[in-house]
Amino acid sequence: MSARPILLIVDDEERILNALSRSLRREGYTILTAQTAERVRELLEQHPVDVVLTDHKMPTTSGLEILSLASQLRPDAARLLISGWPEQVPPDRLADLGVRELLPKPWDDGELKRVLRSAVED
Amino acid sequence: MSSLPPVVRIAVIAPPGGFAARPSIDALRRLGGEVEIDVVRDSDACLVLGGRTALDLVVALRVPPPALASLRKGLGPDGPPLVVVTAPDDDAEALAAFRAGACDCVSAGADQAEALSVVALEQIRRHRQQRERAWLAKRIGELQRYNENIIQNLNSAVIVVDPDGTVSYANPAAGAILGGPADAAVELEGRSVWDWFPGQRAHDTRIGRTLDHGLRCQSAETQITRLDGTRVPIGISCAPLLGDDGAQQGAVATFQDLSEIGQLREQVLQSEKMASIGQLAAGVAHEINNPTGFIHANLYQMTEYIVDLQSVWSRVRDLSKAVEARDWQAASAASRALTATSEEVDVEFLLSDLGKAVRESQEGSERIRHIVQDLRDFARQDTGERTAADLNQCVDSTASIAWTMMKHSVVLSKEYGEIPDLSCFPMQLKQVVMNLLVNAYQAIEQKYGDDSGQVGHIVVRTQAIDDGVALEIEDDGIGIREEHRSRIFDPFFTTKQVGAGTGLGLSTSYNIVRRHGGTMTVDSQAGEGATFCVWLPCEPPEQSP
Repeated sequence: MSARPILLIVDDEERILNALSRSLRREGYTILTAQTAERVRELLEQHPVDVVLTDHKMPTTSGLEILSLASQLRPDAARLLISGWPEQVPPDRLADLGVRELLPKPWDDGELKRVLRSAVED
Repeated sequence: MSSLPPVVRIAVIAPPGGFAARPSIDALRRLGGEVEIDVVRDSDACLVLGGRTALDLVVALRVPPPALASLRKGLGPDGPPLVVVTAPDDDAEALAAFRAGACDCVSAGADQAEALSVVALEQIRRHRQQRERAWLAKRIGELQRYNENIIQNLNSAVIVVDPDGTVSYANPAAGAILGGPADAAVELEGRSVWDWFPGQRAHDTRIGRTLDHGLRCQSAETQITRLDGTRVPIGISCAPLLGDDGAQQGAVATFQDLSEIGQLREQVLQSEKMASIGQLAAGVAHEINNPTGFIHANLYQMTEYIVDLQSVWSRVRDLSKAVEARDWQAASAASRALTATSEEVDVEFLLSDLGKAVRESQEGSERIRHIVQDLRDFARQDTGERTAADLNQCVDSTASIAWTMMKHSVVLSKEYGEIPDLSCFPMQLKQVVMNLLVNAYQAIEQKYGDDSGQVGHIVVRTQAIDDGVALEIEDDGIGIREEHRSRIFDPFFTTKQVGAGTGLGLSTSYNIVRRHGGTMTVDSQAGEGATFCVWLPCEPPEQSP
């Protein structure tokens, strides 16, 4: 296992991926990004990902599908969801998938960093 | 039609001790037809009888003149004629009877029976004619008042114009619309009707076409300009006024003030628009939320970059001071510190990423600005005047809002042709485009459901056709069932779930297109999709919104 925790960020919007990467630049992660479910599958297969942070509403897939994929391929990875409408995500599905945190979008930088640190530490 | 009963009623006054009544009664019975004869003793009894039934004739047998006079008075000027049988050849008595109000006299004697029948017949006929005429006159008067009452109290305005357009009749409702507020009421009759259509050629108006060609029109919409310059939208029906010989004598126009209807219509349009914005809200919010998210994060990050760059800058100043003081040892130390700090904060990266973060944030704020602009354009109301507009532009700005809703499940293709400008109400046309796009999207949603990852297709096409522009919106959604096809333009008809549609979208759209003088049709196979075709003329016929 690499010394730097590996973080996979998923969003269909490249600008969001860039902004999240910027926020986390000095946090000591190896950051991978993906915009599609296919790319997520490739990256999960190739890398021992520690944390998956995904957007919920995307054109061809949903955050819950991404996390379900992650739970199959990397069951140990912490699963985090970020959404503009957190209240619209069905809570029972969150519990089923063992989602650790549901973050709002726009996110608070401090909270984001705190949540990720605690996810990596556990 | 006659007002009179077929039975002829005659009263015979036979004072006791006077002439025998029998010969007169026999003579009267021979008049033919149905005759009813009542014999009374005196004129008072006759008046009582006359009060009960309408008498056709009173025959008085030798009643003295004073009694005759009071009888005549009692029967009234329009009462039955009075024929008196006098003593044989007694001219004086006859004269007195005439003076007392008798219509005719018959002298008793040999010719009495024949004379009485002739006289009675003549008097009865004359009286019946009079009664008939009086009844007809009364009836005509009643009908006139009845019609006048209806026309006067009609909510619709009614005017009659001569062949040259002079107003010959106008009811109060017409006065209220054409004249404006009551205090500014103008005398309508005698004025030219063209005064209310300034700037229009008489034969281009509805009334003009009726006068010139005898054309009828029903519920057409147009505008009048009052003499004070205010404009009023009206709905007008017009018909030629024909004489008994079938020749045209002018025109009758009925019309209503549509101002209020126009306002209501505008309100319905606006609430329909707001309803579609409600449907779009989630998509629009998502579209605004994403850029807001990364702009927010970028700004936060850029403040950190600035702090880092400030620390580099303070090293630069240290170095600069040492160089100016020619303190080479300090300069060398400052230079090393500068290099260390630059490496620590990765100044190369900062400088390049700062530019990138600024560009991305600018692009994000531009996206938000566009969405808000499109939304504002869409929610705006028309000014009430037609304007020249490019339908491609209307379609494009509307499609970009609708796109926020459907981007997750639809591929939208736009095929814009070279098209002329339309004289139209652009905001209303945007509403049509929005309704059709929302329907197309919902048809696709219904077909594929929410989350299957299946993608539908919508094609928006415009092209110039026949002095106008055709707009087609084609989808491969669920389509329209055969049995629904004839009803889709009906108000409140919907097959959508409660809350998904008002049932007014297509009917509103259809009415908007119709008011633009255009047509709207649909072609659909259930399960295969639907294509809505709208055609709009460049210059619509004379009509108002």
